[in-house]
Amino acid sequence: MSTVLFYLLAAVAITGAIVVISTRDVMRLVLGLGAFLLSVAGYYLFYGATFLAIAEIFIYVGGVLVLVVVAIMTVHRSVESEPVLSNRNTFGAAVVALALFGLLVFGLSGVVAPGTASVAGAGIPAVGDMLLGALLPHFEIVGGLLLAGLVAVLAITGGER
Amino acid sequence: MTGYWGGVVWGLGAGVLVGISTILGVWGERKVAGHIQKRYGPNTAPVFGIFQLVYDLLKLLTKEDIHPKQARRGLFNIAPLFMTTPIISSLVIIPFAAGWAPLDTSIGILFFLAVPSISVLGVLFAGWSQRNTYASLGGLRGAAQMISYEVPRSLSVLAVVMLAGTMQPVTLMGEWRIWWLPVTLIAFVVYFIASIAELNRGPFDLAECDSELVGGYFTDYSGIRWAMFMMSEYGGMTAAALFGSVVFLGGTWPLSGVLGVLVLLVKTVLLVIAFMWAKWTFPRMRPDQLMATSWKVLTPMALVQIVIVGVVIAWL
Repeated sequence: MSTVLFYLLAAVAITGAIVVISTRDVMRLVLGLGAFLLSVAGYYLFYGATFLAIAEIFIYVGGVLVLVVVAIMTVHRSVESEPVLSNRNTFGAAVVALALFGLLVFGLSGVVAPGTASVAGAGIPAVGDMLLGALLPHFEIVGGLLLAGLVAVLAITGGER
Repeated sequence: MTGYWGGVVWGLGAGVLVGISTILGVWGERKVAGHIQKRYGPNTAPVFGIFQLVYDLLKLLTKEDIHPKQARRGLFNIAPLFMTTPIISSLVIIPFAAGWAPLDTSIGILFFLAVPSISVLGVLFAGWSQRNTYASLGGLRGAAQMISYEVPRSLSVLAVVMLAGTMQPVTLMGEWRIWWLPVTLIAFVVYFIASIAELNRGPFDLAECDSELVGGYFTDYSGIRWAMFMMSEYGGMTAAALFGSVVFLGGTWPLSGVLGVLVLLVKTVLLVIAFMWAKWTFPRMRPDQLMATSWKVLTPMALVQIVIVGVVIAWL
């Protein structure tokens, strides 16, 4: 049963990813992205990392995806004109994508497999200990970086007003 | 019962629960509204008008499922599912009896706050796919409101989580003490108001107000798909009331066993009636007042509550 679930999640994730890169319809793209993000959350649950799964749903599905839809609803005006999907850099992009894919397969093949049991230490206490213990400087630096990004966006878009 | 088939069974059970709470909720709302407005509400159907809900259900099930010509068919058809499914799945972490919940997980509180946020997508999809101005406006308003009110709502629950030292609803309900109620009173008020806004109900029903936006994000829906929007509203109200009585009012306290379940149900029904009371007595807010309430009133209140709880924990 768990193997079936694993491949089901994989099928949903890959279908979602293919829809995202191939469709010209923005709303279909959002649906594909949603399916992909939800199946990634499903993978986290599959490996017992419940906190990561909920964080994925909270931040990506409930936050980022909603932001994308709001942006589409307020910006996308014409229904008829469809965006162009490819440009001249197709060949270079394909090489980079294949290289990244190879790297991921090479790096993760031993770690993640259909039969793997749950990852130890993925619960809330373990995550909290890590983030507010050994990894506290990293956590703070990432927070500062995100804040700098927010301020930069403000400065670039509407700082003068 | 856990495992994959257990999940399917609990999912179906929660779906039935949401359905029952919808038909009882619609009847109850009409009765409550009637008494507030000095009239009777549904009373010609047998047994205090309770058969009204059977009539309503039959009417909705047999009504034609209309698709507007300009609507985006695929998205239009599945948007109601995005509203109802998260509500149904969020019910699975509620401890219905002392020491027992369908899904007893250490992140239950977070689960309940995170999963219903998917229904913001349903509001947006519904608003966008109908391709008309009222629905788009309603969808955008609804999404903005639901995202803003998620902040004070999550912060208010955090106060009780700090006191209990756990995010596991079953353990939290077991740890609950009566003196928590006065200590977390501000958080309870914030949770109550923010929940109403999360559900797009009056006085925060700017997203679906019939006098300016016809029906808001479900303007063009009819029949069973419209009923699914109602299911998400009344199911969400029941879920919010259940969660509120578990987290803030001690759930099955002071009794245990079957009587405890009854106590939990009574608390839930009282909270649901309070939700309806708020809808039928307060006038609708303006959009700027709505946002100001969330960011300038409720969020600071929740933060003050967290400081209070921090002091109390240190003093213990």
